[in-house]
Amino acid sequence: MNETVLSIRKLTAGYGGAPVLFDVDLEVRAGEIVALVGSNGAGKTTLLRAVSRVLRAEGGIAFNGEDILPLPPEKVFSRGLVQVPEGRQLFGAMTVEENLRMGAFRRTDKRTLKESFEHVYGLFPILEERRRGLAGNLSGGEQQMCAMGRALMAEPKLLLIDEMSLGLAPVIVDQLLDVLTDIRSRGVTVLLVEQDVFAAFSVADRGYVMETGRITREGPVSELGDDPAVREAYLGA
Amino acid sequence: MLLVQILVNGVLLGGLYGLMGLGMALVWGVLNVVNLAHGALIMLGGYLTYYLFTGLGIDPFVALPIAALGMFVIGYCLQRFILNLIVRSAMLNTLLITFGLSVVITYLAQLLFSADFRTINPTYSGANFAVAGITIPVVSLAAFVIAFVLAGAVWWLLNEMTIGRAIRATAQNLTAARLYGVDPRNIYALTFGIGAALAGVAGGLFGILTHLTPYVGATLTAKSFVIAIIGGLSNPFKVILGGIVIGVAEQLASLYLGPTYIDVISFGLLVVVLVVRPARSLRAA
Repeated sequence: MNETVLSIRKLTAGYGGAPVLFDVDLEVRAGEIVALVGSNGAGKTTLLRAVSRVLRAEGGIAFNGEDILPLPPEKVFSRGLVQVPEGRQLFGAMTVEENLRMGAFRRTDKRTLKESFEHVYGLFPILEERRRGLAGNLSGGEQQMCAMGRALMAEPKLLLIDEMSLGLAPVIVDQLLDVLTDIRSRGVTVLLVEQDVFAAFSVADRGYVMETGRITREGPVSELGDDPAVREAYLGA
Repeated sequence: MLLVQILVNGVLLGGLYGLMGLGMALVWGVLNVVNLAHGALIMLGGYLTYYLFTGLGIDPFVALPIAALGMFVIGYCLQRFILNLIVRSAMLNTLLITFGLSVVITYLAQLLFSADFRTINPTYSGANFAVAGITIPVVSLAAFVIAFVLAGAVWWLLNEMTIGRAIRATAQNLTAARLYGVDPRNIYALTFGIGAALAGVAGGLFGILTHLTPYVGATLTAKSFVIAIIGGLSNPFKVILGGIVIGVAEQLASLYLGPTYIDVISFGLLVVVLVVRPARSLRAA
């Protein structure tokens, strides 16, 4: 079994005294794609915000064996834990290229930057075409590609992706899922948060199901996909 | 001919006004803080240049970068240790605290520098030359050029440098900036420091071109506010242009209506601008 990249133990977090997460346990191992699914408001985004350290939390979060709970967000980011946030959150008044450069903000080895640009433009040729255009003017699918590209520019070890498929055409979603498989083959571990369970399970190795702030089920996606309760609630069958 | 001379005076003075507005627009655009102490910082930069000149005998134009550096340190610390505590609270709070800051700085200045008028008066302060019958004071021209050079420097910083991109990123999307390795507290302090440094240079030039008292801050804050609104918060050169609009308007008012109307004109223009383009004027960098 591969070593653990992200280990979450008894994590509790919330907003303004109202708890959203209760004793969440979750583990991501090197080279995995792990899917975290659940309905709207289950606390998936809250969990990612806590892991990226932009939200106060209690419990344990270890990244590559290091306790990252006391770290500020920029330190967590520098360690290679990079999030593609919900709603893309691009820098809308900046060009596509500037957005990608922001992904490399903390990188010190500026020499290999050109390779990273080539890698991202190779995955998403449309971004190269639009590199001088403002990110705010991109279509939804292009924005998601730009957000993914920005994250890849940071040379992530673990990528947290929040609602990648939301509002996108199926053909675009398929393309993005292919990219996930591709970057996993390059050694990037992925934690994918999705409402679209079908899409998430099509690429993931293991899955977690979250309901009202608690993990209620976990296992390989082949087993979870066969679970009658999961099928009924999320797969519409 | 008089009209042309007045226009030239207005444009040259407007460059300095633009420089005053630039620091305010930068801080406003990035931090969403209308810094009511901006004029007080300009005043402080003026006195810093004055004492570098009279006390240490440093040529005022050589003293400007030193004053800018000093004001950067003051601005950085003000933001890092005081203003960062409230930067994300309601605008009323930031207005109150920067207003309080301006009062404190003004009265500290009165204690330290006395209420007497001061002018930074190098030997060449009266020098001028004529082009086609138009008199151009050398010092005013220098101030105008410096304003443009600094606007260019700010533009370069924001658009071509990594740290400048981080400043714009923070202004555009705080959430994403934090997720991508930017520490907003540092960016805010840096931005406020740059704003204070620009105020410092503007203050030094102001002290050379006119005179300093501890009380000029309030008027200069108001003027910077008008210029930042006219010029917008996104392009440094537009802010300088905003300054030129105010400079020319003031000079014309002074010629046709009398010097009493100078301030009436700039604030009249503010009202007009707010009515014509209220939302657009407040868009961030």
